[in-house]
Amino acid sequence: MNMVRLIALREYLENVRTKGFWIGILIFPVIFTAMYFLQSALARSTPTRYYLLIDQSGQYEQAVATAIEREHQSRLLQEFVNYLLENRKEQNLELTAANASTQIDELIDEVDADAVAALDEWLDAGGLDVALTMASPYLREDAPAFEPPPSQFIAAPLPADIDPAASPEQIVQHLRPFLSGERELLVDNQRVSLFALILIPADVDAAIARPGMPPRLNDLSSGVQYWARNLTDSRLPDAIADSINSTIRTREYRNQGVDTRIVRNVQHTRIPFNRLDPTAAEGEEAVSMADTFRQFAPIGFAYLMFLSLMQSVQYLLSNTVEEKSNRIIEVLLASVTSGELMMGKLVGIGLSGLTTIAVWLLSFFLFVSLYQSTQTELISEIINIILGSELIPWFVFYYFAGYALYSGMFLAIGSLCNTLKEAQSLMMPMILIQVIPIAMMAFVVMDPNNTLVRAMSWFPLFTPYLMMNRAAADPPLIDVVGTTILLLLSIVLVLWLSGKIFRHGVLRTGQPPRFSEMLRLLRRDV
Amino acid sequence: MNQSVLSLDHVTKTYGDFTAVNDVSLVIPRGTIYGFLGPNGAGKTTTLRMILDIVKPTRGSVSILGCASALDVRHRIGYLPEEKGLYKKMKVWAIIQYFAMLKGLDRHTAKQRAWTLLEQYGLKDFAEAKVESLSKGMGQKVQVLSAVAHQPELVILDEPFSGLDPVNQGVLEELIRDMAAAGQTVIFSTHVMQHAERLCDHILLIAKGRKVFDGSIAAAKATIPRRIFIATDDEVAPLEQIAGIDQILSVEPTAGDGETSRQWQLLINEQLNPQLVLKTCFEKGIALSRFDFTEPSLHDVFMHLVGAEAKEQVFR
Repeated sequence: MNMVRLIALREYLENVRTKGFWIGILIFPVIFTAMYFLQSALARSTPTRYYLLIDQSGQYEQAVATAIEREHQSRLLQEFVNYLLENRKEQNLELTAANASTQIDELIDEVDADAVAALDEWLDAGGLDVALTMASPYLREDAPAFEPPPSQFIAAPLPADIDPAASPEQIVQHLRPFLSGERELLVDNQRVSLFALILIPADVDAAIARPGMPPRLNDLSSGVQYWARNLTDSRLPDAIADSINSTIRTREYRNQGVDTRIVRNVQHTRIPFNRLDPTAAEGEEAVSMADTFRQFAPIGFAYLMFLSLMQSVQYLLSNTVEEKSNRIIEVLLASVTSGELMMGKLVGIGLSGLTTIAVWLLSFFLFVSLYQSTQTELISEIINIILGSELIPWFVFYYFAGYALYSGMFLAIGSLCNTLKEAQSLMMPMILIQVIPIAMMAFVVMDPNNTLVRAMSWFPLFTPYLMMNRAAADPPLIDVVGTTILLLLSIVLVLWLSGKIFRHGVLRTGQPPRFSEMLRLLRRDV
Repeated sequence: MNQSVLSLDHVTKTYGDFTAVNDVSLVIPRGTIYGFLGPNGAGKTTTLRMILDIVKPTRGSVSILGCASALDVRHRIGYLPEEKGLYKKMKVWAIIQYFAMLKGLDRHTAKQRAWTLLEQYGLKDFAEAKVESLSKGMGQKVQVLSAVAHQPELVILDEPFSGLDPVNQGVLEELIRDMAAAGQTVIFSTHVMQHAERLCDHILLIAKGRKVFDGSIAAAKATIPRRIFIATDDEVAPLEQIAGIDQILSVEPTAGDGETSRQWQLLINEQLNPQLVLKTCFEKGIALSRFDFTEPSLHDVFMHLVGAEAKEQVFR
């Protein structure tokens, strides 16, 4: 046992002392952090976009303006919530955050559900000014003033050489150079590029489609025309389409003699719809966001397991091949048994794997506690959920089981090869096998007790991944017990077999053995 | 106390059809320096590996330090394998300490031993260096030290001299003598006869897996008949009358030795005094340009016993 500890310690220290190990470990949090900041930086740096509205019908200018305003207000709301969370008082933290954000959450929900009405309410209630006044008792004294984000979409004035009364075809013809970026608009003496043209022909109402009307050929020139090179940013066209439709519907109600107030009230009528979890304790059956996360959390764990295992077995393999290729192995085997050597390596490299996971988690916590905002708030909530759930013991168990199973196999491979190149070709199928359960993860989480998934869980090489994946969905007891027994048995078998291969393999020189040769090795009593 | 540290009893190792070691028996007394000599591929390394129980003999048995397997007494054995390698990233003193600890020394003692050895054998300045920064010969010295740092009763060195410059070969010889003086038994394999001749009390000669000879150096030399080399242009027939000369053989001239006369080799028996041969030559008027009576070297013994097989081995 003493020898195992000594070997394990050396393996561990040798790994931990290399630069590559730390680069490998730190690249993950660094990329994560970089992506986080990059994303928010990108969101902030989206340039102001100029659009041209030519409404020949003269009816929908207001609707488009409302759409633009709504986009702006919802962005404003988000920024405002961030501002609240960043500048709230430290004490009675949960209360403030919860209060402030639930009210605003409701508002945001309504913006989603019935945009126009919600926006009216928010503006009717006084909009940002009132919200700031309401929030001020909860803000720190030294909180900076709230800076509303600039409008993202701004109406550009019509270029002087364009006649708004010309035919739509002519207008588009004239504006094409602007839309394609060949020419630029002059706004406040600055040259800016035109993002979009919204062209509403005079006879647009004739194109309104109603239920019961015979289907018409899709005529691109009828209805509202939205011209833009950017096909991916759909916020503007969506908002405008919603807003114009809303205006048309309100008018239709009036034409039909329906009171629009009644309509709005009707649209706000709702039945409470409660999603309940039968497995939760009494009084806690309500399906919260937390529960949903809990069900998706296994994906994260399985990924973590995959990444860490891949890294560990890689080290295991390269260390073994190194010892083999420079014949240190012979000295080692003259000092310790091959069993001690193997166990020492498994434990030592296993410890480096745990170090990796520990560093990842630590940097994650550090990140979350250093940069608090709405997103990180969410993440820390998820972390609390995960730490509080029964997933941790599962993860620990399946991590070690998976490690023992796979590392045993990789160690055997390493012992048969003299160069890393040889090892890699033997490794490939082993990696592919692990990719199968990883590729299935998203599907498994949605239907964790599906017959195929259940059957595949019984294959020991998949068990750690698939059962981890299913852990949050309370798999049938028979699956849990059965696969665990099978898994443990195969670990014993694999370690025993690898021990034999390892013993023969490490002293071998030359080509890796053929399969038949390997069988003969195994059959022969060692 | 049992005086033999190691005995092999009809040990054979086969790999498929190939017999690497064939029926070798051997007893090595305690406190000796024992040389394993033989041409390339003779089975020296396989024999050493069987002694260490790294590979199992196909037939026969090994008894080492009173045990059937070296694994049971591995802490009392030090081993330097034929192909040398060390962990590249470790410091010199740390690697000696590590291997000593694997042999059962505690951390503190192991470290102390490492530093003592490094100082004693001229490597103190490299103690803090990483192994990868050492030259090949330097690394090999470090590896020898790491194999013997735990002061084992039995030291087994496989080709310890290969790759060392003459100065460091001298240092290694000194180390081996020091260990023998301290009562440790040293077995080493080599194909350089001079080392064996200078160091060994006993040798094992092995060729094509078979033991050709084992015993003391003197006994090895006795396997070659006594010889006198002469060079003359006169007839050598008169010498045939001398009782004690078994055979007179003509020797092919060796290029470059400056000898233009015909050369002869006289095989003589134990009783014959070489002086008599010289005297007879004078009396019979045989003009000698060379008269050479020297002890055979181990090289001669080697060539005599396994020369033909060694050549065959090489071109096999």
